[in-house]
Formats: sequence, C-alpha cells, structure tokens
Amino acid sequence: MFEINNGLSVSDKLEILSDAAKYDVACTSSGVDRRGKEGFLGNSCSAGICHAFAADGRCISLLKILMSNHCIYDCKYCKNRVSNDIRRATFTPDEICNLTIEFYKRNYIEGLFLSSGIIVSPDYTMEKMCETLRLLRTVYKFNGYIHVKVIPGASSELLYSAGLLADRMSINMELPTEVSLKKLAPNKAMNNILRPMNQVTGTIAAHRLAIGKDARMERASINSHLVNSIFGPDGNDSIEIGSSKEYGIGGNGLSASHTEMRYSEQSSDNLINGEKRQAVADTVMAKSLSGNTAHKPSTQDRIKELSKDNTFNYPADPRDTMLKRPFSPAGQSTQMIIGATDETDLELITTTQNLYKSFDLKRVFYSGYIPINEDSALPALNTPVPMLREHRLYQADFLLRFYGFHAEELLSKEKPFFDNRIDPKCDWAIRHLGDFPVEINTATYDMLLRVPGIGPTGVKKIMSARRYGKVTFEMLKRMGIVLKRAQYFITCNGKMLYKIPIEQQYILACLADSQRSETIQITKDNEQFQQLNLFSSFGLTESVPMQASS
Amino acid sequence: MYIYTCEPNWEALLSCIYVAWSSKRGHQNIKIEYETSANRTFLDEYIYVPTDSGQALSVIDAINTKISTGFYYDLSYCAMAYEPEVPDLIYRMMILGFAYGPEVVNKVQYEAVMRFNEIKKRVGNEAHRFVEFLRFHEVRKSMYVAHIEPKSRIAITLGGAFEDRMPSENWMIIDDIHKEAVIHPKNEHFYMRTLTDAEFAVLLETEKENDDYTDMWKIFFETIAIKERINPKLQRNLYPIWTRKHAPEFDSPSSKNTASKSQYMVD
Repeated sequence: MFEINNGLSVSDKLEILSDAAKYDVACTSSGVDRRGKEGFLGNSCSAGICHAFAADGRCISLLKILMSNHCIYDCKYCKNRVSNDIRRATFTPDEICNLTIEFYKRNYIEGLFLSSGIIVSPDYTMEKMCETLRLLRTVYKFNGYIHVKVIPGASSELLYSAGLLADRMSINMELPTEVSLKKLAPNKAMNNILRPMNQVTGTIAAHRLAIGKDARMERASINSHLVNSIFGPDGNDSIEIGSSKEYGIGGNGLSASHTEMRYSEQSSDNLINGEKRQAVADTVMAKSLSGNTAHKPSTQDRIKELSKDNTFNYPADPRDTMLKRPFSPAGQSTQMIIGATDETDLELITTTQNLYKSFDLKRVFYSGYIPINEDSALPALNTPVPMLREHRLYQADFLLRFYGFHAEELLSKEKPFFDNRIDPKCDWAIRHLGDFPVEINTATYDMLLRVPGIGPTGVKKIMSARRYGKVTFEMLKRMGIVLKRAQYFITCNGKMLYKIPIEQQYILACLADSQRSETIQITKDNEQFQQLNLFSSFGLTESVPMQASS
Repeated sequence: MYIYTCEPNWEALLSCIYVAWSSKRGHQNIKIEYETSANRTFLDEYIYVPTDSGQALSVIDAINTKISTGFYYDLSYCAMAYEPEVPDLIYRMMILGFAYGPEVVNKVQYEAVMRFNEIKKRVGNEAHRFVEFLRFHEVRKSMYVAHIEPKSRIAITLGGAFEDRMPSENWMIIDDIHKEAVIHPKNEHFYMRTLTDAEFAVLLETEKENDDYTDMWKIFFETIAIKERINPKLQRNLYPIWTRKHAPEFDSPSSKNTASKSQYMVD
C-alpha cells in the first residue's frame, strides 16, 4: 500500500484519521483501576474520566484515531471503504506514541483508542497495531488506558499480544445478523467476529481465575442486591464453587437456553422471511455454542475447559507476557449499527442480553446510522439519524445492566419496538400497574429499582435512610428521586403524593406529557423547520384555490 | 442570636467553633459565619474570633478521637465549598456528631445532615470537573502549568489525583481565584502554597507561551464531533461554560489574552 501524498504533517494525519475514527462509539476509559508508577506516565480510574465533550455532546476520553484509513474492505456503511475516494493517511507507531504521551501530559485525554482500516491483510494490520502498543508501553512507558479494536480475521497470537498490552479490547459486531452482515459488509463473516470474541472472553476468564478473581467481570454493585438480574446466577456461582455443581451448570445453562429458545420462537413467528429466520437461528446458535464459557464448578476444571480451544495460548512476541499485565483487564465491548438494516428493537436488545450473558461483555454500544455513502442496500442519504431509537436502546441497555430487567420483559413479539413517547421503564411500569403503588418504607431493592424515577443511587440512599427513620416525599425530592415520574407509582407511609387515579391511560398521558420536551429535544435535529402555512400545515390542499383561480 | 465570625479558612473556623461552643450561650442561639462587611443584621450581636491554632487543634483532636477520622475528613471536605452557609453547617454537624457518633452522616432525617451531604456531593462533583477539564500547558519544555478558576477551594484534591497520574513530571496547578498553587516536583510529593502577588503575576504569563500540541488538540477536538449530531445544549450541560475558561479548545487566538487579562485587572 503506498501513499500518494507522502508529505502529510502529523496534524494533517491527525485530522484525517480522527475524522475517520469518529463514527466509532466507544470512548470509555472505565473498567480498570491502576495506580501510577514512578518513572511511568499515567494511571487508570475504574469509573473512567471524560476530558472534554465535543460539539455533538459525546465525551472525549481517549485519543480516538485510526492507525490508517487505507482499507481493503468494502463495507457499504463505512466512510473508509475501498471504493470511496477520500484522503488517506497512515500514522507511524512513533507518531501515535508521541501524540498520546503529549496529549496525556496536558490532561487532554485519558488514553489511546486505536483502531485501523485494513492494510494489506488483517494480520499485517494487527501486527502494526501491536507494534505501536508495545512501543507505547515499553519505550514510552505509558501506563494509562488503551482501548484496542480487534481486526476481524487476525490470528490469535496477535490478539493475545494486543490484549496483554491494552486494557480493553473490542470487536465490532456492526450488525446483529449474518444476513445483514453479508448484505452490508461482504468481506466480513459472522464467524470471524464471534470466534475471536469468544476467545477473548475465554482468555479474560482464564486470566481472572489465575489471579484468584471470579471468572465473570465485575458488575455494578447494585446487581448484588438483585435476585433476578441478568448477571445474577453467575455472581452466586463464584461464591459457591464446588458445593453447587448442579446449580452452576444446570441453573445457569437452563436459564440461558430457555431465553434463547423463547427468543427464537418469537423471531420465527415474527419474521416471515425464511432467510432471516435462518440468520437469527445462526446467531443464537453461535452464541449458545460458545455460551457457557465459564460455568464449570471447580476452578481447575474451569481453566482446563477454558484452555481447550477458546483461549489464546501464545503471544506474538514472548516479551509481552513478561510485562506482567493482565489480559484485557477492563473486559471487552462491541458496537452495533442501528437503522441501516431492518432489525427490530427486540432483536437488538435480545442480542445485547445474550452478549452480556454468554460473552460477558462489559458494554454493548449502539451507533445510530449516519448516511455517509450512497448505496442501494443502504437507507437514502437524507435519512435522519435515528437518535431517539438509539436513546431508547441505551435506556434499555442500562435497564439490563443496572436495574435487573430482562430483554423479554421490555419488549415482546407483539410489540417489537420501544415506545417513542415514554422511556422503556415507564412503559414497563404502566403495563404492570398491578404491582404498584410501592411503599417506599418497606419495598425491596428489586421493586424500588423498578419504579420509574428511582435509580441505583436513589435506592441506596432510600435504603440507608430507612434504617434511621421514616422516609417522606420531601426527603425523596432531596435525594434526587424524580418525583415527576415516581409519584404515580409510590406511597410514603401509606399515602401517595397526590390523589392519582391508578389508570393506564391517564398515567400514560401524564408521563408522555412530561417527557415530551425531552423527546422533542432528542429528535429536533432531524426536523426541518418551515414557516406555518395555512394550507400545508392545517391539511388544506393548495389545489383548491389554484383551481379556483385558473 | 449571637453570630460568631472568623476568617475564611479551616483553622480560623475551628477556633471560632471552639469559642462559640465554650461560650455556653446555647447552640440554638449561635450562628457561625465567615467575616464579611456586607449584609449584617442589626438585631444580632456579631463577635469576631481571631485564629488560634491551639484552639483549632483541640477541636481537631476532639473530633478525631470522640467521633472518627472519617467524620473529620468529611467535615474538612465540606469546608472547601463556597456556600455561605457552610461554617454554620459544620457547627451543626459537629453538634450532631458528638451526640450520635460518626453514623450521623446517614441520618438524613436531620435537615443539617441532608444539606451537608448535598454540599459534600457538590464539592466532589466540582473537584471531579477539574480533574476532567483542567489543561496543562507546557512551559519552557520542562514543566506543565495549569490554571483553574473553581468556585470552591478544591485545589488540594487535585494534587492527589494528578500526583498519581503524572508522578514523574514537574507540574503546577494554580487556583486563580483563591491564589493558591499545588506544586509537584518530579518524583516527589506535592505541596500547597499560597501565592504572593508577584509570583501570581509571573505565573499568569504561562498560558501565553506557545505550545505546539495545543493546536493539534484543537484539530482533534473539532474533527471528532459528528456534524449530523451537533448538540450544543448537551455539550453545555456536560461541559459547563464556567469550567471552560482555560481550555484551549474553546479559545479563539485573538480573544484569548485580552479576555482573561481584563478579568484579573478587576481583581
């Protein structure tokens, strides 16, 4: 691969390659706590630190760049596809290291996010990326956060090295089904995405077990209080190693396959298209195949099981293991494109749940499709970015990870899309008015978390306050509980805040009304404003006066 | 009502509380404030208490031994806040603390405790804002200097955060509002220092030095935003304008020095 314009300065390259990387969503520096070391630069904070917010309101936490935007692939949705005529550039490893170090010292960033277009071959690209990371960690003595994208199709030795050097790895699923992937990314194959994802999961689990941690990643602390969260059974699993053999395999395996069965039932009913059904089944199968990575009862068995075929065994450079870094300590993540193909929200959120359960991903990101390229397989160029849909999916994703919800509670085959008017939690609450109102002073963690307007922090505050006396509405307000939403679903000391009829339509109308401004604000960018016109705005066609005049 | 006043610093506040407490006028008849000339009521009696480190120390000892060190940490953390009610709130918290022990911070049924927790959280958030948004500027190729303009006196919390982040660099964080600096020599512990006017005048010049990476950062900051998703309201929500004062990504080259300078002229 040669460069036509060789004389690019570093700032030119930065402009080209950050512009090319901006469509990647993940910019989190979270998941790992690491103290600074004398002689090194940097530390890492498990909550993550955002260092700026760009004009689109997205956080800038990492120096998000591509190593190169040359690419041999032709994914239809991508700006850097080989058939696009755009400015191309490639960073040298030293340039990337220098930028990272200098930006880091000025407190602009928390670390490096390195991805790349595919130069020559996946292996060649991944090797270059590993070389960069190795240089950054050893010669430049960088101890901050590194997020590395896995190039699908790269060999496992290179992925192992990358994981040993980085803090988080991610493999972009891009599209949740094989069919969509074939359609929009002809050079990628689902297997090339799921296999490394599974291997990364396995290797992370093996590394965690080896240092005495639980095989599964840590989750938000609130999950430990929940009976029924998607991370639940696995959390208990670690505590009862050995004693609950049956429970470990049977309980968890059953529940997982049960969900998937239900899911495939739903989709087979729902989708008439046979091809699609096959694709869904494929995805589900691939997941259940690789599903139970870490549910064996004894630690030794587990490691043996893991090291069979779903772990990486040898790094590309043996010196990488000598750095004594844990393998991808902040876990792995992925991202899916929303709105480019016709998946339903139900499919997306169920896939998400399966990824959390079987691959133990830390995050699944959604990227509302932004029309950059013109193609018959893609939505038209003036299609608005599906901001509200993306927002609803993130809300649902948080319900899975922090609130103990399950995908099948939020959506069903009769209702495969989220409501535009109200958020998924309110929607759930309105459909289950029988469970409400909840008495704040006696309710359990699970039930409190299901009240709209109360989040994990709020629940913890309520629980702490309950130990010392009654909780009143005044106190709730000052604890940051959103009474605007919660008032319909709670009582304090037996009384509701106002006289509210417990009636679906009424509460739905009130909630939709209170969320209208928020919904409009999210969608407003997509709206085209025009002056009010008596004829077009109020349904009168202009043809009537036209005819009269002619 | 007797209003005890003191200088706006931790030591003075503790000696003021010592004097107020031992005056035996009844807690409900006492209020603690920082010394100001404005907004005095004519119904109350104002008593100015000079700083006495002996008295302050005995209060510190009492809190640490009779309540807990954690409680003392919470109090001192809250004392960084700019809210005018903070001195009195700390007094109320100490009354509750001596009565109920360190557990009292969870008893939000008390109005003072609720307010105390709110302020503590706000200070924590403000401190975190500056961990995120303060910007170092390379000076003479050997050290990094950052200017901040916080509402509360949070500079000291930044010292610990950045010492861990950059242990082997020379750096300095200057609080332009409260005229104090956190100074960190390479591979050593950081220390605090109150700046004299002469020192401060010199340090004000640091941001004028040319730094190549500032321009690169601006390029990155601009290109990373997706045009189709521009949302200034969200950006302002997450990155408030008052925290942007020394962020290079927002200053246009022409207005930079004149704007910040005129502000200091008023001071």
